[in-house]
Amino acid sequence: MNKQLRRLGAGLVACYLALFMMVNWVQVFHAEALNDNPINTRKIVRDFNQPRGKIIAADGAVLATTVPSAPGDQFTFQRTYPEGDLFGHITGTFNFNFGATGVEQTYNDELAGVTVSQEYQTLRDLFVDHQTTGDVTLTLRKDVQQLARDALGEKKGSVVVMDPRDGSILGMWSFPSYDPNLLASHNSKDAQAAKVFLEGNADQPLRGRAWQERFFPGSTFKVVTGSIGVEAGIVTPDNPVFPTETAYKPPDGQPIQNFGGESCGGALFDILRVSCNSAFARMGAEDIGQATMEAGVQRFGFNTKNPIDLPNAAVSNFPDTKNSKAFLGQASIGQFDTAASPLEMALVASAVANNGVIMTPHVMKDVKDDNGKVLKSFDPKVWLNAMTPQTAAVMRQAMVGVVQSGTGTAARIDGVDVGGKTGTAQLGTTPATSEAWFICFAGEPGKPSSVVVAVLVEGEPGASEGTGGRIAAPIAKELVQKVLEIQQAGG
Amino acid sequence: MISILRRRTELGLIVLGSVIVAGAYTLASLGRTSSIPANIGPFLGIVLALFVAAHIATRRYAPGADGLLLPIAALLNGIGYVFIARLDETSSHPQGLAAAQAGWTVIGIGAFVLTLLFVRRVRDLQRYRYTFLLIGLALLMAPLLPGVGREINGARIWAYVGPISFQPGEFAKVVLAIFFASYLVEKRELLGMATFPRFRPLLPDLKHLGPVLLAWGFSIVIMTAEKDLGSSLLFFALFMLMVWVATERTAYVGVGGVLFAGGSVLAYKGFKHVHDRVQDWLDPWQHASGSGFQVIQSWFAMAWGGVAGTGLGLGNPDRIPVASTDFIFAAIAEELGLLGSAAVIFCYLLLVGCGLRIAVRAEPPFEKLLATGITILFGVQSFIIMAGVTRLLPLTGVTLPFVSYGGSSLVANYVLLALLARISDDTARRAGEVLEKAHA
Repeated sequence: MNKQLRRLGAGLVACYLALFMMVNWVQVFHAEALNDNPINTRKIVRDFNQPRGKIIAADGAVLATTVPSAPGDQFTFQRTYPEGDLFGHITGTFNFNFGATGVEQTYNDELAGVTVSQEYQTLRDLFVDHQTTGDVTLTLRKDVQQLARDALGEKKGSVVVMDPRDGSILGMWSFPSYDPNLLASHNSKDAQAAKVFLEGNADQPLRGRAWQERFFPGSTFKVVTGSIGVEAGIVTPDNPVFPTETAYKPPDGQPIQNFGGESCGGALFDILRVSCNSAFARMGAEDIGQATMEAGVQRFGFNTKNPIDLPNAAVSNFPDTKNSKAFLGQASIGQFDTAASPLEMALVASAVANNGVIMTPHVMKDVKDDNGKVLKSFDPKVWLNAMTPQTAAVMRQAMVGVVQSGTGTAARIDGVDVGGKTGTAQLGTTPATSEAWFICFAGEPGKPSSVVVAVLVEGEPGASEGTGGRIAAPIAKELVQKVLEIQQAGG
Repeated sequence: MISILRRRTELGLIVLGSVIVAGAYTLASLGRTSSIPANIGPFLGIVLALFVAAHIATRRYAPGADGLLLPIAALLNGIGYVFIARLDETSSHPQGLAAAQAGWTVIGIGAFVLTLLFVRRVRDLQRYRYTFLLIGLALLMAPLLPGVGREINGARIWAYVGPISFQPGEFAKVVLAIFFASYLVEKRELLGMATFPRFRPLLPDLKHLGPVLLAWGFSIVIMTAEKDLGSSLLFFALFMLMVWVATERTAYVGVGGVLFAGGSVLAYKGFKHVHDRVQDWLDPWQHASGSGFQVIQSWFAMAWGGVAGTGLGLGNPDRIPVASTDFIFAAIAEELGLLGSAAVIFCYLLLVGCGLRIAVRAEPPFEKLLATGITILFGVQSFIIMAGVTRLLPLTGVTLPFVSYGGSSLVANYVLLALLARISDDTARRAGEVLEKAHA
């Protein structure tokens, strides 16, 4: 019988070994997936019962912080957002039932203090409980954001302000916005009611339109088309000289008219300066072609996931024009199905400003522990190489021309190198409204540009090529001046 | 001399175990309320007193007994108590489970001492084998009797006699293990002879297979009428493995396996509660808030614990349904982490190792078989429930021996432990490892 006993022993050992391996799998190898499972509320409950790091603007303003809950509250801590709707889209909100949005979502682990580097800074931390929450400092500044809000006023639209040299977002305002405090209420009825109310608003105040929504980029897209032409060697400052005409008439569809039936034409600098539809439509459809356009827009970040460290960034779109020169012509001037977020158009300007290189856009500057020690900071990274520095230099000169003596003169600033591009995307005809765009870069003369601004004002009455320059460019100018002032002061 | 060393080891390990338990109790209180429990002194005193009493009884009545049995049981029992207390106090409806479990521990240790006291020689039990069989059958069937049995949480395993309620199946385990061992000692020669089929004899005459079929039939009855899959599996495994060890014929395991497989398929197709259990094992996520809820919560708890655990009193094991009985392993895994769950697994493996060592060393076939049976009960029952909780196997609700909340289970397991101690003591005496005058 002893032989059987030994086998029985071996059998039981095998069973227990299987059990041990299973426990290892569940508790170690598969643990992260289980912890992140959406129906597992352990993480959320933990996050609501412990302090949470602050979210701080680059100029020191506290954007989100945690205070002890009112007595009788189900959770220990209450999240508050002192700046209200000013940073609503950026910080997002932190709600037990709907989860986190914005920076609260992307940097949840850092704020909650559960990244490995936060939990175990020294060997001692393995055994001693210590405060691990991290404060996330943003690249956005309250003064810039405030100015963006004031300059845009009560108009639906977006303002994106960034530093093209490292991709840091200095301000990103979308109107209408919302107050995240409403959604952070621990009273789930209140929070639910606020959410339903905000979601029911046709203007979508919960959406950060600056990076989560797409719009027709209109003439600002001509910067992309022009860059692709120059990069491909098809277009130079002198060649080709586009015919002066009132419309580009493609062989297979509707003619593409210039605004107000005007005639225009000429070489690159001239047609960009006056924003000549017929010339750029012809350039895209006849000279560049679908394949080269598609490859080119990809280098600018179209049809690609945007890497910004905020949730749900829109994917900007350049359409498949199905071998139709009419469609390709329209797409080349930012119509047809071309669609871009204001952030994407800011990145287009930043490519020109930064020698053809698009840096990864980001809102996080660094994460500090409660002693102020930097735990991690955002290392500037190249996202895309949109074009060669030579091409960028050509486009730069073209865009400076727009501001010097073209449609963008409203953004001209004495003693500062400013280059930009206006855009007006017409929407509907009765009544005619349009989206007014302006994208620009600026910097001290002879130095690399240090600021890029994209402005989109929606629902402007009327439709003329001047709308973008008249409505959007002054807003951009205000922000450029403010940022340069801050930068000169060493901020 | 060896026996004295064993006793000293036992005492040392009991003290160590008690300190661990008292430490865990303190940590659980610190974790929950950030204060050291006011009664920590008396608590340690009572734990020590209880197990030292058991130790003294062993010294007196079974001086040659294996020295690891009692400390392992004490450690498991103590850890179980800490978790039961911690779970009950944080639950929204405290039921005083900790006090009850403490009472049951006292009774369990009493049962341990009484078993050692009354069962002076294991072979005396052999005589009453049919009495044990009858008791065993009666106990197994008791929950089915109208007026006595009651269905709780979908399983009909409780018996109510007057004010006392208990799970007769737990005690049926003990007497049936004794019956099986003595029956098999008697029949092992016959069962071991292969005469069937004629052309290539593999099995004994079919009439001797009766008991095997009977055991199988019983398992089916328990599974279908009482809906107690765990006990059904446990009884069947107990009997088949004991037959195999007794007869040394692997064919029995084969036949048993075929019967088991057949029964399982039929049960899966024919009974909804079996079908549901298997479905929830294969894919708990499709009924994540329904029947798959328990296993999913168990997994979430274990995963949350990770390697080092959340710390005692700092996790959320109260979210696991029936955490203090069937799912207590998941609660331990959450708060003590992989380190704690692995430690529990190895405690049971150690217990199995002790049991098998006792079985191998025992000379008389009855003692050898009884030790084997008890070891199978400990080893298989622990495995079944831990495997169910971790979703290694379909979940079948049985208690985790010594750890889970439950009086019947705790008392029955202490009786089994005493029987193992007794067998090892008998062996030690036979080997001359015990000075007889010490036993005078």
